[in-house]
Amino acid sequence: MNRLLAVASNTFRETVRERVLYNLVFFALAMTLSGLLLSELSIRQDEKIIKDVGLAAIDFFGTLIAVFIGVGLVSKEMERRSLHPLLAKPLRRTEFFLGKYVGLAGTLLVNTSVMTLGMLGTLKMVGHRPDLNLLSAVYPLYLGMLVVVAVALLLSTLTSSALAAVGTVGVALAGRYSDVIRNMRQVAPGAPPELVTVLYYVLPNFANFDFKDKVAYGDPVGAASLGLVTLYAAFYIAILLSLGLASFNRRDL
Amino acid sequence: MTEQPSANAVTLSRLTKSYRVGHVFQKRKTVLHELTFEVRQGEIFGYLGPNGSGKTTTLKVLSRLLFPDGGEVTILGRPLADPSWRAKAGYLPEHPYLYDYLTAREYLDYVGQLFGMARPARTERTRLLLRLVGLERSADVALRRFSKGMVQRAGLAQALMNDPDLVILDEPMSGLDPLGRRLVRDVILGLKKEGKTVLFSTHILSDAETLCDRIAILRAGRLLDVGRLADILRLDVAHMEVLVSGVDPERVELEGIHGRHVLGERHRLEVEEKALGAVVRAVEQAGGRILAVQPIRQSLEDFFVQEMGRPGNGAPGGEEA
Repeated sequence: MNRLLAVASNTFRETVRERVLYNLVFFALAMTLSGLLLSELSIRQDEKIIKDVGLAAIDFFGTLIAVFIGVGLVSKEMERRSLHPLLAKPLRRTEFFLGKYVGLAGTLLVNTSVMTLGMLGTLKMVGHRPDLNLLSAVYPLYLGMLVVVAVALLLSTLTSSALAAVGTVGVALAGRYSDVIRNMRQVAPGAPPELVTVLYYVLPNFANFDFKDKVAYGDPVGAASLGLVTLYAAFYIAILLSLGLASFNRRDL
Repeated sequence: MTEQPSANAVTLSRLTKSYRVGHVFQKRKTVLHELTFEVRQGEIFGYLGPNGSGKTTTLKVLSRLLFPDGGEVTILGRPLADPSWRAKAGYLPEHPYLYDYLTAREYLDYVGQLFGMARPARTERTRLLLRLVGLERSADVALRRFSKGMVQRAGLAQALMNDPDLVILDEPMSGLDPLGRRLVRDVILGLKKEGKTVLFSTHILSDAETLCDRIAILRAGRLLDVGRLADILRLDVAHMEVLVSGVDPERVELEGIHGRHVLGERHRLEVEEKALGAVVRAVEQAGGRILAVQPIRQSLEDFFVQEMGRPGNGAPGGEEA
């Protein structure tokens, strides 16, 4: 466990030093601009728009980091062979793999937390009480990012980092339009029904992590919904990481 | 599990490794053919062979980066798959790539964490190793600013972080200037003095001749020979080298001469050992001077060139199975 945490801590340090958190600057810029430009609008409108922009930015930047840093987490180490001296030590491949995952999860947690604070600060700046109900939209978004990282890690153990990036973006996009996939035969009658069914059930449905609209309108999200979405994410993460580990543990490096 | 006492630090028995090659129609290519040899505890063992002969593949199998197809390997008395031996071993890969966003001090500290070392022990060991490899002044410089030779030194330091009983070094002299090579040689000899076992690969034969107690020679994934240098090389005198001046040997009737080389005013003669007396007398009678006489033995390089050129030793890189 200590070795896993050492890898996680070093991965976090790597992302910080590789300036991954610089995306926060863009987030801050988006929040400031929306706060300033929308101050002319009516009270209800500017609050909702700040929440919409803030949550969308958290989702966008978080998913971007999850895809592109996630894909490079292990594949970059394999390509550069920087993991060779480490895996010859008492560090198990499983510890290395999971440590990289936990490290990026930590980076995303810091990133998401800072953005959330920024969004709450912007709301306060334009004269609204910070709405802690926003956390019930941010938390599922964070779970969605963790699923994306697991997809990226799995694909990066199976193929090149470029293909893994394309595949992860594909899964992240397709997973947001699961309903379209389910109803694909209505718009494309020629689509093989088995394929459509398999895609619908295999791909994670990222719409399940999306409570943005509900929260922006001020509707509460129940604890049961949050519990279910946590189990849903845990199920996918466990399957994806197990498959990734099975591939990584057998791979010649 | 109790530790098995063993006189061998590493034992390979019929170790075989192959890769899939090709894109569409893949074939298996065997790169290590049933290698069998052992590295004894406390010795410096040189693993020699030309590029592509399978040296790095063997060392990567020992370091669990590659999985063997067959054969048995034990390290420090434990099976290869048992991870417990890794706490007592160190490994320097060929052309090491260390995290370039870390400083040398941070990297060694990270490696120490992977060995489960406590912070004070890590700090002390890091300080000692940085001094050993001559990097104490660059300890807090990011590794991305290091030269190739400095990275190699940092790589050597990380291989020694746990004070290992067995050190596996893949081309440790690679990319080093003469001072760096001297430093690595001294480190290897120092490890032997401490009773450690060193297994290192190289294609620089003078390093092997200087350092090794025993060597193994690999060619196209097959073991050509293994043993003490003196046993592998013919240490009987191959011929005598005689340096003469004041006379042109071409004009003197000499027998038993294999070669003549003009070196300005001097001549170097390669003479059969039994013909030496007659040659010396003939040169002196012709008014010449004998400047030097020395016996010439077969060098490792001679052996290497001779063996590599021998038909049937296969092309580098193994053969298709």
